[in-house]
Amino acid sequence: MKFKGKSFIAIVLSPEPPFADWFREIDRIIERSPGFFIDRPIILDVRGTKIPIEELEQLLAELAERSIRVMGIDGVAGTRLKAGMPPSFSGGRLASDVDVPTPANASAVAGNGSETEKPDAKDADGSTRNTTAKSKKTAAEPKAKVSKANGDSDVEPEAWETSPASIASGSSIVITEPVRSGQSILHPEGDVTVIGSVSSGAEIIAGGSIHVYGALRGRALAGVAGKDSARIFCSKLDAELVSINGLYKVADDFDGALRNAPAQIRFENETLVFEELN
Amino acid sequence: MSNATVVVVTSGKGGVGKTTTTAAIASALAKEGYQVCAIDFDVGLRNLDLIMGAERRVVFDLVNVVRGEASIKQALVRDKKLNNLYLLPASQTRDKDALTEEGVASVISELRMYFDWVICDSPAGIERGATLAMRHADEAIIVSNPEVSSVRDCDRIIGLLDAKTKIAEDGGRMPKHLMITRYDTERAKTGDMLATDDVVDILSVPLIGVVPESKDVLKASNVGLPITLSDENSPAAKAYTEAVRRLLGENIPVTIPEEKKGLFGKFFKGRAA
Repeated sequence: MKFKGKSFIAIVLSPEPPFADWFREIDRIIERSPGFFIDRPIILDVRGTKIPIEELEQLLAELAERSIRVMGIDGVAGTRLKAGMPPSFSGGRLASDVDVPTPANASAVAGNGSETEKPDAKDADGSTRNTTAKSKKTAAEPKAKVSKANGDSDVEPEAWETSPASIASGSSIVITEPVRSGQSILHPEGDVTVIGSVSSGAEIIAGGSIHVYGALRGRALAGVAGKDSARIFCSKLDAELVSINGLYKVADDFDGALRNAPAQIRFENETLVFEELN
Repeated sequence: MSNATVVVVTSGKGGVGKTTTTAAIASALAKEGYQVCAIDFDVGLRNLDLIMGAERRVVFDLVNVVRGEASIKQALVRDKKLNNLYLLPASQTRDKDALTEEGVASVISELRMYFDWVICDSPAGIERGATLAMRHADEAIIVSNPEVSSVRDCDRIIGLLDAKTKIAEDGGRMPKHLMITRYDTERAKTGDMLATDDVVDILSVPLIGVVPESKDVLKASNVGLPITLSDENSPAAKAYTEAVRRLLGENIPVTIPEEKKGLFGKFFKGRAA
């Protein structure tokens, strides 16, 4: 029997007291890119904090509340951990930072066009680095393939298999009934297809594209996990708001000619492009 | 012993005609010979007793029954004209928190044994009273005015009907009927009002009836008689009677009954505008 070794890039979360502020920062990131922590290996780094086990328990519970599943804890001896907690982890080599997707760096990650990068994007990166994500290699199996981490921007393609862009191209869901006012369809991992109408006061939030075979009268937010290749399609455009990768437009700013027409909306050069479908 | 169909009359928005519709539907069903019970879920703001002209005979109410202070038979008020039509009034002195989920469940399941039809008049809003009224229903009548805010509220309610009801939780789908009330033919023609087609398109629920705006409705509620009993020939009463036939499964096309106009009315209308 042979055991394969594989290396992954894990996100390392280093909580800093006061935790309330730290969680606010996490919430802010989740709000901006709901798919960011989904399906990613996450290590909780509490080295040097001498955190009481009760506080650690609390911390894990709060992370779980935000659907952040921790796969290991660095900095606490395995014997101190309670049953049901993720196992203790140590070692690992530091890799380059994992960027929190912003419209600018998400496109850089996807590898097409650095000219869209905004001048202030670097600043945004810098600030998020301090607060949240350091990336690190884990799973140091004997025969592990070691991928190289050289540059700042061109991180290992393997590791980026789980980047927001590819997370978003994963599963898709189909809703076969009208989405009513007050209802919200949240699917940060992929496409959402609605067979029926999306009512005024309803919202669709998708990591990928949104397809509505009916009238779109509510809100549609596509590409929320940092994917600006996401698009919105509908057979009748009467939306209150449309957004792709955080860039949004409200009904008042729409082109009147497309009202009630079948339309698609895509992201191009930091603007939303509306086109009639025919 | 029968097993009733429980129908909730709901809308989200207030003042669209839920109570009028409940009274009209309940009495039209009773006229067809069924055993019918109308329940007022609007605890604290009860009106159904007034519309049905039973306010002077209310002794016990829904809250008493839910709390076990009175039996259902003590609380039911029989209609003056039809002896197979009953009302279970709401309490005016309590609020909606007085209703409990289990209490309502046991009341409804007991009423199911005595009646053929149980019509629940839902309060406005989407809070406790409204959700409890729809909770155990088998079918829903959604009342909307041809006007945008009412339509959006109905849409919200339909979403709740498909999520918070017993049927929905058991994986079923509640049959829904759309009743458009206070419809003004003249204003629909001039575009001041949403057309029925637009409402049906937005809500995607089959239409069960269109009730024209009518002075007869106000007149009927002031004398405490459901419109289907007070003036059978009024357009509104006809619309409700037809809606009930559709509810009973008859397949008749939905028409919009019009107010009869005299020769002068027609002539005058032609010259206006």
